Amino acid sequence: MTTKTKRNWLVPHNYLSLKLWETLGSGLFNLFIFLILFVYLFPMLFMVATSLMEGPQLSDRNSPAYPARHTRYEYQGRSYAIYNVPFPNGEIRQLVLVEPGRMSSQFIDPQNPDGGLIPWEGSWRQLKGVYHFYITLDNFTNLFSALPISQMLKNTLIMTIIGEIGVLISSIIVAYGFSRFPLPGGDILFYILIATILIPEKVTLIPTYFFFVRILHWEGTWLPILVPFFFGNAVYIFLLRQNFKSIPKDLDEAAMLDGAGPLRVLLQVILPQSWPTVITVSLLHFFYMWNETRQAALYLSISRDLAPISFGVQSFQSLTPIQNQLQAGALILMIVPVIVLLISQRYFMRDIVVTGMEK
Amino acid sequence: MTNRKTSQLRFNRRLGILLISPWIIGLLLFKLLPILASLGISFTNFQLLTPEQTRFTGLENYIRLFHDDAVGYVLFETIALGISTIPLQLAASIFLASLLSNPRLKAGNMMRTLFFLPSIIPGVAIFFMWIGFVDPATGWLNKLILGPLGLNGFNNLYSDGAIALLFSISSLWSVGPGMLIMLGALQGLPPEIQEAARVDGAGPLVRFFYITLPLISPAIFFAIVINMIAIFGGVILLDRGNVFSGSFSPYDGYVTFILFERYDLGYAASLAWFFFIIVMIVVYALFTSARRWVYYPDRDA
Repeated sequence: MTTKTKRNWLVPHNYLSLKLWETLGSGLFNLFIFLILFVYLFPMLFMVATSLMEGPQLSDRNSPAYPARHTRYEYQGRSYAIYNVPFPNGEIRQLVLVEPGRMSSQFIDPQNPDGGLIPWEGSWRQLKGVYHFYITLDNFTNLFSALPISQMLKNTLIMTIIGEIGVLISSIIVAYGFSRFPLPGGDILFYILIATILIPEKVTLIPTYFFFVRILHWEGTWLPILVPFFFGNAVYIFLLRQNFKSIPKDLDEAAMLDGAGPLRVLLQVILPQSWPTVITVSLLHFFYMWNETRQAALYLSISRDLAPISFGVQSFQSLTPIQNQLQAGALILMIVPVIVLLISQRYFMRDIVVTGMEK
Repeated sequence: MTNRKTSQLRFNRRLGILLISPWIIGLLLFKLLPILASLGISFTNFQLLTPEQTRFTGLENYIRLFHDDAVGYVLFETIALGISTIPLQLAASIFLASLLSNPRLKAGNMMRTLFFLPSIIPGVAIFFMWIGFVDPATGWLNKLILGPLGLNGFNNLYSDGAIALLFSISSLWSVGPGMLIMLGALQGLPPEIQEAARVDGAGPLVRFFYITLPLISPAIFFAIVINMIAIFGGVILLDRGNVFSGSFSPYDGYVTFILFERYDLGYAASLAWFFFIIVMIVVYALFTSARRWVYYPDRDA
């Protein structure tokens, strides 16, 4: 069918080399993806490493990237730092800096401390230190004492549970209405639903803020954040409706013939078949609530004890601009969503792939 | 019989309205009424601190807006941000999705989850992480990447060029939802078409550009819409705003400034409405253009 005009060296010629070629190709391919993943998640490695570092390491430019401590040595009852000292003959020795000086310094050899002082010419500040791996959890303990972390976690948890209940019940009911019942105007209402996703938040912000704060006096409560969830969320309604539509109507018609009302059809026919999407939507909402800072900044800045975790940790930045503590805060903040994603990946990833496809 | 059917239909229609009524009430209370109120406020000199002095000023706010240099600047910045990040995100999501849908991939679901991971990390954590990572003194960017490469590293974190670069790179970290959309589309492709083209002698690049890309164009369209809304400051899936300013769009940031630093609600409302009109024009243009380049298999043969 195809005629080869030139000999291709990459084409395998017998079964064994084909198999070898396949294995090699797969291996290289997976290695390539793993390298991309490593680069992609590299900043997270930074975060974890820095959150386990001690303060002095941050101000030391020569320190290694991993959490470490400058190795020290006890000499005559005092503790001195160890440096890598280069000598004119090319030798590099690990020596203890006993008497630092501007132009020349005095060292001793930790292997042979009684061998006397070893003079060295040059600026000791140029020397690279000797480090050993050392992790500290002080940043986390400081964080827990500076911020009411458990209180903020509790707040986020309560807000998430209330919000989930509200947004799930209302979105499921609305999606059921959109997927199974004839509505006036046909699909126009559904298009309006999609269009509301496109509305910039700022257009509705001013009157909504004024309404909640000046008319209802809801400032300093969770109400302005939670109440709107009880009226459904356009994105979740869209995802659920797409899923409900994919369930054959014969099933609910059969149930209707057996005398089931619309509510029973929803609860006993549709929901049992769409729980992966329901889980996906509740996870999306969970991640959203964990991320929530904008509404909190608007309505909760006067009552700190109601602050959710993201907002609380955000305010931490103005308290301590020290990198290792900031990274510890970031780690505390992200650990729960990350664990939830890893546990739920089997349902979440599969279902969100399918729902995305159906647009 | 027909009578029973029509009464059944009427019942169903009423029930349908009843079922979607929570959303309709929400739409009126939290979308339509605020939008209209916002339009009304934009014609006044409403100040948060002195609401009793509010009076109708006509188009004054809109005239002021056209003379405000900052508006032109943030609008340009927003558009530039969109132009620089949307194609980048799109290319990255298609690239990752085509790698991750390869049957050779080991532990596929775990890999997909790990690439998706940054998308669920709270924005505050990402902000801390990036600010730390690029910090000239203690971050790894200078220490492990730029330093060993012999580049002297940037010590001015807040220069415009550095910020723009960081924006683009950090936008790649929210590639997750787009990647999943592409994955779904790629997995839905019938393998016969690829196979047929391969038999006919089409190479991998030709197959990708002439077969795969047109077939997943609905997903590309969907991803463009999602990324665009994020730039415009809508609230969407896993939305977390921008890493460096808390809000994705510079225009959004300016409105927030007028609102919460100047307390000038009337002017802020007119800014928001002006932007709303621009967004609607862009969305309309996008949907109109979609007819030309988005492929729908069931539309015609």
